[in-house]
Amino acid sequence: MALSEELVAPWAEWQESYQDGQRLLEAGTYALTEGAVAAGLGVFAGYPITPATDIAEYMSKRLPQIDGYYLQAEDELAGMHMCAGASLGGQKAMTATSGPGYTLMHDAYGWAIVNEIPVVVVDAMRVGPVSGITGAPGQGEFYVSRYCSHGGNIETIVLSPNSVQETFWLTIDAFNLAERFRTVVTILTDQVVADMFEDLFLPGDYGALSDIVVPRRHNLTMPFFPADSSEIDLPPNVIGEGTGVCVSPYTHTEEGYDIEEMEAQWSQTFRLINKIRHHKDEILRYEAVGLDDAEVIAVAYGATARTVKTAVLEARRQGVKAGFLRLISLWPFPDELFERDQPYLVCELNYDGQLVREVMRAAPDKNRVHFMGKSGEMHTVAEVCEALEGVAKHQKMPQQPYIWTEVR
Amino acid sequence: MNKLAAKYLRPELVPTKACQGCAIGAIENWLLQAIDEMELKQEDVIFGAGIGCVGRQTFATWGGDNFGATHGRALAVATGLKVARPDKKILLVVGDGDAASIGASHLIHAARRNVGVTVICEDNMGYESTGGQFSPTTPAGYVTNSSPYGMAEQSFDPCDVVIAAGATFVAETTAVQWRQTVKVVKLAMQNDGFSFVHIRFPCVQNFGASALGSRDPLVSMEWIYDHTKGKTDDGAETDFAWETGIKHDASNSRPEYSKVLRDLNARVRADMAAGS
Ligand SMILES: Cc1ncc(C[n+]2csc(CCOP(=O)(O)OP(=O)(O)O)c2C)c(N)n1
Ligand code: SF4
Ligand SMILES: [Mg+2]
Repeated sequence: MALSEELVAPWAEWQESYQDGQRLLEAGTYALTEGAVAAGLGVFAGYPITPATDIAEYMSKRLPQIDGYYLQAEDELAGMHMCAGASLGGQKAMTATSGPGYTLMHDAYGWAIVNEIPVVVVDAMRVGPVSGITGAPGQGEFYVSRYCSHGGNIETIVLSPNSVQETFWLTIDAFNLAERFRTVVTILTDQVVADMFEDLFLPGDYGALSDIVVPRRHNLTMPFFPADSSEIDLPPNVIGEGTGVCVSPYTHTEEGYDIEEMEAQWSQTFRLINKIRHHKDEILRYEAVGLDDAEVIAVAYGATARTVKTAVLEARRQGVKAGFLRLISLWPFPDELFERDQPYLVCELNYDGQLVREVMRAAPDKNRVHFMGKSGEMHTVAEVCEALEGVAKHQKMPQQPYIWTEVR
Repeated sequence: MNKLAAKYLRPELVPTKACQGCAIGAIENWLLQAIDEMELKQEDVIFGAGIGCVGRQTFATWGGDNFGATHGRALAVATGLKVARPDKKILLVVGDGDAASIGASHLIHAARRNVGVTVICEDNMGYESTGGQFSPTTPAGYVTNSSPYGMAEQSFDPCDVVIAAGATFVAETTAVQWRQTVKVVKLAMQNDGFSFVHIRFPCVQNFGASALGSRDPLVSMEWIYDHTKGKTDDGAETDFAWETGIKHDASNSRPEYSKVLRDLNARVRADMAAGS
């Protein structure tokens, strides 16, 4: 019997609808640039860092051709604030970085989120902390991308692609979500998916994508910041149209005035959290294979999911009933995907254990959630197969060199 | 409310929440006078503010579109905004902490790029909204709440920094120079490029109390007046004097940043159309 396979993401359909175009051998960074252009990007502002540097270079070439603007910022903090400013002025905006630059953006993150400014941020993760090893992949910003500002009282949207082709579609999707939810959407990719070259289909005419691209609209009326509302699909606020809008870092009224009253603080928080929580189903994206009869479910995202999927298929051939769950939307965390009372094997590129902690929280039995962390280098198919067999047949993780299994 | 405030500000947010005797409100009025003399309308100007007394007391008072940035970042936001809305004048009102300390790198690079904004740096020589600590513009030796033994570091004049970085209009005044301030703000806003106007004013609440020993606004104003002239009333020389007036005027001598980018696009797109 064939294994059940499911891709829940808007591009499952998009790939069917758009067949006219060109096929290239290109890198993830190239797909990301083209995805942003296809989505109507107007301004890119950033500061170079491996493995996101190629995005900046592609943008510097591509944007003037479509009458967009490439701004090379003095640092990442400036880069993201420039994006927020450009977006307030009515342009779709994006920045791209890796871990060291990502941490510098948090000031701008909070400002853009509280002011409901659509911006797309790319973090191509590498092993850390700090500079770590420049060319080695990592998955250490799973939580940081959720808590990308201080002070709490926010929800965030984070997506992660696992192939060059998916990077293209997912980037368009990220811009759409940023517009619809009036917020920052983070694309959490990694050194492998960003740098690798793969088959890439690009539609021949981006104009024909108007059916799937959410255009920039302008909110010209009060309320600029609807209190207590979880409504989405509101047009973003715009500066320069004389609406009298006020944006700021302070707790705001519906006009955007600063206010120091708890009711206003609560109303603002309700909006920032619930516009996302109440529409979680609009954000959920994942891929699943063979879950129906699985006796162990391997969980991964990004580059890691590539080997893990191969390992699951290989384990099946060896008689282990393994299933595969690849998260594409990482935040808001898809608790609903972990309702099956089965053992889970969570593979990720860090030793401290990040994704695994959320799976432990969401799964029915946290004692049956196993961790397989690697640092700086990819899991191998053999390693994952051995772990799947150990968990499925002996309810135990085998000891393997350079793999962390402990989560405390 | 005076006529200018009625014409340009939001009645519900005026007067400012600044301390009694603080010059923030008066200086804002001078900005309005310059705007009025230029015959600008509310919709012609985008008003951006920093954080701190200067930023927060002026934020959202302007009747048109407003933004208040996080501490120091107004210029970074304005750079992106100017590229998106080159048709608008952007007026930024920021503190010395915003401009010369936490946001100093944005200040330098906005000047270098010649971004079309006018920065009004209202310099009260310290971080006043956090209670009066020294800043990069506090005169050496002066007592503040974080320099109880006298400011030990050397200060700098942000005008020197932006001139070196490439600003196309730079001027300095103080809170006792009403007419001069209106005049230079007008010139600043007529420059299609990066303009910097540095205005010294006294914080009566903190600087007055710790450095000058009195919260009486008259004591602070007299101190500013003396240091503007370089002489006290009885003719004695002050410990130092500020050099006020226009410090650098290369207005409209080189293209504004967003125009540079637009021209670049036009060139690239023309080459593409010509098939090269
Ligand atoms: C990132 C950050 N650091 C520190 C602060 C606290 N803070 C608020 S205003 C301010 C100093 C403001 O000084 P200045 O810009 O000169 O404005 P003033 O209050 O003197 O008018 C500080 C340190 C902050 N809001 N954000
Ligand atoms: S603390 Fe100083 S600068 Fe702030 S409002 Fe009061 S007098 Fe003005
Ligand atoms: Mg100050």
